[in-house]
Amino acid sequence: MPSRKRIEVLGPGCTRCKETFRVVRHVVEEGGLDVELVKDESIERMMALGLMATPGLAIDGKVVLSGRIPKAEEVRQLLGVA
Amino acid sequence: MTTLASAATGTWRPTQRRSLALAAVTLVAAAILYTQLQRFAAFLTYDLAGLTRGSRLGSAAEFFLFEVPKVLLLLTGVVFVVGVLRTFFTPERARHLLAGRREASGNVLAAVFGIATPFCSCSAVPLFIGFVTAGVPLGVTFSFLISAPMVNEVALVLLFGLFGWRVAALYLGTGLAIAVVAGWIIGRLKLERHVEPWVWKIQAGGGGPETRKTWRDRLADGRAAVREIVGKVWLYVVLGIAVGAGIHGYVPTNFMASFMGRAAWWAVPLAVLLGIPMYSNAAGIIPVVQALLGKGAALGTVLAFMMSVIALSLPEVIILRKVLRPALIATFVAVVGGGILLVGYLFNAVM
Repeated sequence: MPSRKRIEVLGPGCTRCKETFRVVRHVVEEGGLDVELVKDESIERMMALGLMATPGLAIDGKVVLSGRIPKAEEVRQLLGVA
Repeated sequence: MTTLASAATGTWRPTQRRSLALAAVTLVAAAILYTQLQRFAAFLTYDLAGLTRGSRLGSAAEFFLFEVPKVLLLLTGVVFVVGVLRTFFTPERARHLLAGRREASGNVLAAVFGIATPFCSCSAVPLFIGFVTAGVPLGVTFSFLISAPMVNEVALVLLFGLFGWRVAALYLGTGLAIAVVAGWIIGRLKLERHVEPWVWKIQAGGGGPETRKTWRDRLADGRAAVREIVGKVWLYVVLGIAVGAGIHGYVPTNFMASFMGRAAWWAVPLAVLLGIPMYSNAAGIIPVVQALLGKGAALGTVLAFMMSVIALSLPEVIILRKVLRPALIATFVAVVGGGILLVGYLFNAVM
């Protein structure tokens, strides 16, 4: 394993964003993943990533999902959990 | 993402065809069921429960038993179809199409995209910045921002189900018109200096991936939209219809005419003012309003109220304050509010 992945959940704190964070955290905890999970509510970070629809999910500074609440299965796939 | 897409086309083909067929069969079955609801409600009310035809309780019960399944069925169907259609639109695509557009044609295009693009009010700020920094004119950006919440699919369904297609079409048409004209006016006013200065300095990043979606993904998105939206509003709809049923059976005809009728000039502005602090309760309010309308409230007043509830919401204004100076916020509220007032008076005059 190279370095720890940095996973960011982006959103200004609406219910959909909280739900997204919950889903991602669930996947991380369930898989016992050694990752850095953060929830960023700042507009500046969203803009730096070029995110236009929240909630968003970024892995190592790259947006992989935006504008909807992902399903756990999808997050597992994005994080490379079998 | 590419591996995901190729895996999809390789192994999911039969499942994909099956889920498309399943969706089609479900829609047809729902449509047939929909045509039988009136008869079913009458059967439940008068034959099974034995209520007297024409009695107050009977007419309230029949109203409730007919409207609840009707509206929920319609809502589920439309939210699903819209959810699927929306997978074809993304904010990134809208931005790409709108960047560098001239005004007028840009405003119209933006208003149409505003309806079709999935959007939640908490996305207003990142979307605003994403558009403006990519060279979408300010007025065009506003057309998008106004039409997105203004023409709301839940409201459209409820209007169609409870008032008929004419009112639904009027709502859609005038909502679009307000978005186009209000955006155009804001563009003409040259208010760029009232955008918070830091916005212009942002170097927006590349954004999300352009995911290739299969039909299976699109249908799944449609189902997710149903779970998310119908799951959130169904209770309001049922409660709203229950109140509406009470009004339907018990409030005397023309009771509302005195204070929500077209004769009262102040009814429209009052309706708009009342609507601003309210947010996302349209689902529960429309059935109530429909019953009020039957008792003599004027359609224009009712439409103005609804549009104000949906398009001018306090939470959104607070969110937008992060990027807009008060002068521009005030202009936004005034222009949109003025447009809604005009629609209210127009409908009271012609209908």
